[in-house]
Amino acid sequence: MPHEEEYAIVVKDVQKQFKVFLDKGQSVKERLLFQNRRRYEKREVLKGISFQVRKGEAIGLIGHNGCGKSTTLKLLTRILYPDSGSITIKGRVSSLIELGAGFHPDMSGRENIYTNASIFGLTKKEIDSRLDTIIKFSELEEFIDNPVRTYSSGMYMRLAFSVAIHVDADVLLIDEILGVGDVSFQQKCFRRLQEIKSSGTTIVIVSHAMEQIEQICDRSIWIDNGEIREEGIPKYVHEHYLSVMESNRIERDAKERQTEPVETRTLPDFCDATAVRLGTGDAEFTDAKMLSEDGTITNVFPTGSYITLKLAYRSKKSNLEGNFGFGIFREDGVHCYGTNVDIECDKIIPLKKEGTVTITFENKLLAGNYFLDVAIHSKDGVFYDDIRRIQAFTVTAVKRDIGICRLETKWEVDDITFDSHR
Amino acid sequence: MKLLHELYLYRQMIFSLVKKDLRGRYKGSVLGFLWTFINPLMQLIVYTFVFTVILPADVDRYYLHLFVALIPWIFFSSSITGGASSVVAQKDLIKKIYFPREVIPISYVTSCFVNMLLCFIIIFLVMLFTGSVWNFTAILCLPVVWIVEYLLALGMAMLSSAITVYFRDLEHILGIISMVWMYMTPVLYSIDLIPERLQSLYRLNPMTSVITAYRDILYYGQVPNLLTLSEAVFLGVGFLILGVFVFSKLKKRFAEEL
Repeated sequence: MPHEEEYAIVVKDVQKQFKVFLDKGQSVKERLLFQNRRRYEKREVLKGISFQVRKGEAIGLIGHNGCGKSTTLKLLTRILYPDSGSITIKGRVSSLIELGAGFHPDMSGRENIYTNASIFGLTKKEIDSRLDTIIKFSELEEFIDNPVRTYSSGMYMRLAFSVAIHVDADVLLIDEILGVGDVSFQQKCFRRLQEIKSSGTTIVIVSHAMEQIEQICDRSIWIDNGEIREEGIPKYVHEHYLSVMESNRIERDAKERQTEPVETRTLPDFCDATAVRLGTGDAEFTDAKMLSEDGTITNVFPTGSYITLKLAYRSKKSNLEGNFGFGIFREDGVHCYGTNVDIECDKIIPLKKEGTVTITFENKLLAGNYFLDVAIHSKDGVFYDDIRRIQAFTVTAVKRDIGICRLETKWEVDDITFDSHR
Repeated sequence: MKLLHELYLYRQMIFSLVKKDLRGRYKGSVLGFLWTFINPLMQLIVYTFVFTVILPADVDRYYLHLFVALIPWIFFSSSITGGASSVVAQKDLIKKIYFPREVIPISYVTSCFVNMLLCFIIIFLVMLFTGSVWNFTAILCLPVVWIVEYLLALGMAMLSSAITVYFRDLEHILGIISMVWMYMTPVLYSIDLIPERLQSLYRLNPMTSVITAYRDILYYGQVPNLLTLSEAVFLGVGFLILGVFVFSKLKKRFAEEL
C-alpha cells in the first residue's frame, strides 16, 4: 500500500443524487398555481464510490451512458459537490471538459486565447510566455488575428484544444475531447498528452475510445450504475466491459424481436475462469490444449522450447469459411504476438462440421505470465468465436536476458566469436 | 482567506471578463461606446426638465445637484438588477468549467464601476464649465466613497445573483425594488426635505449615506461628515460580508440548478 502522501486524488465513499423535475416551474406563479406539478424523482447517480489515484498515474473512467462517469469527473473539477463523502485533490487542477469556453466570435484568435486561458486560471504573464507555443500548436499562424467567427469549426476546435492542452497542471481531467480535428492533429494531441503524462502530471480521462485509454492509462475504472464494477489493467477491464455490453445488447435485441433470449454462453472447461468469450457462435471451439515438446499438457514452458497448440472446433452452419487466429498477451496487457491463417498462407479454410487445428511454434518469449487468445472469424472479420485469455501460461527463464522476446544473436568481441545459445 | 487567494490567481479572468463586457456591450451599434454617456445624460435632461420647469424644486443648480447623485445611483441599481442575472447568464461556463464563482458578480460590478468612473469625467467637465466650488481636500475623499459604494454594490450583487439562480422571479422583483429604492433615497431631492421623524429611518438606507457623501464633495464642496462616512463604510462592509456568506452557501449547487 503506497503512503497517503503519494496520492494526488483520494475519493472516499462519494454519493451524489440529482433531483429530476418532471415539470419544473421556475417562477412564483408557476410554483403557487401548479404546486402538485412540482413532482420530482431523486436519481442516485453515484452510490458511494471510492478510489485513489497516485501522483503521475493516468486512469481512465469507462462505462455506458448515464453510469455516472461524467458526474464523477464534474465532482473532481468541483463543478458539482458531493452529497456525502469526500474528495481530496493535491495541486493545481485543470479540466478539459469544455473547449473554447468564453470564446467571443467577434474577437481575434489571439484575444480569445487570452480570454479562454484566463478562465483556466492563467495569469497574463503565464499566457504571454505560452502564446507562441499555443499558436504554433494550433497551426493557425496565418489566421490568428482574424475574428474567430471566420474560422471553420475544425480551426475553432484546434485553437480551443491548443489553449486547453497548454495549461500546466498537477492534475489534468479530460472528458471525451480527444476526437478533435483531422487525424494528424489528433495524433499530435495524443503525443502532447503523452508528454504531459511523462512530465509527471496525474491524468483522469473519461472516454468511449477504449484504445486511447489503453495507450495512455495505467489503470481503468469501470463505473456501472453509480458503483465501481471493476478496476485494473485497462485492456482487461475493457474486455470485460465490452463483453457485458455485448451480451446486454444481444438480450435487448432478443427482447425487441420478442424471441427467446439467447442462452448466455457458459465457459466450457478448456477455458480459464477469467476468459471472455464473444462472437456469433456460428462456429466455435470445442477444445484447446497447450502441449510441450514431449506432448504433455502443460501451462509452463521454458524460453526456447516448442509449444504446440491443439484446437478442436465445430461448425453449426454448412459452407462456412473460416480464418483461425491466435494471440499472446503478457499479463500487463502488452500484445506480444498475433497471427492467423490468412496472414500466413493467404487462404481461408472451408470449415468442416468438426475439425482440428494444430499450431506449433518456437517459444521466444522471455520469463513471465502470459495469456493466450484464440478466434475463428470470417474473411471480412466477423467473429464466430473469440475467446480472450482462454488459458494462462507461464514462461520460465533459462537465461538472464531481458525484454519481451528473445532475438538470436551472433557476437564478435575482439577476436572471440560466438552465437547466442538456448 | 482561501477565497481571496483563489480570486487573486484568477485575476486575469476578472480582468478579461470586464474587458469583454465593456468592449462587447455596444459592439455593432453606430454610436458604440458613446451610449455609456447618452443614457445617463437623457435621464438627467428629463429629470431636470421635470424638477425645474414642472415641479420646480427649490435647489440652486438643480442639474448638478441631481447629476452627482444620479451617476452613482445608476451604478448601484444596475449592479443589483443586472448583477442578479449575471450568474444565470454565464450558465454555460458554470456548468462546464471550474473557477471561483465569485468571479462573475465581481466582474459584472467592476464593469459597471468602470462605466461610472467614465461618467465622472462628464461630471468633472460640467463642474468645470459651470464654475462650481472645487474643494481639493474634499475631492481626495472621493476614492473612499467610490470604494464604499463598490463594496456595497458588490455585496448586493452577490446576494441577488446567487438567489436568482434558485428563484428566477427575483430578477423582475428587483426592477420594482430598485425603483422604490431610488425614491426612498435622496437622489432626485435633497435630504433636507425629509421630515425629521423619518430621518432615522432614512439612516438605515446605506445609499443615503453614500449619496449624501457624493453631494457633500461635489456639490457643496465640503469634506463629508465623518459620521456619515463611517456609517457608509460600516454598512458597505456589512453587506459585502453578508453577500459573500450567502453566495458561498448557494454556489455549490449552481451547476445543478442552472
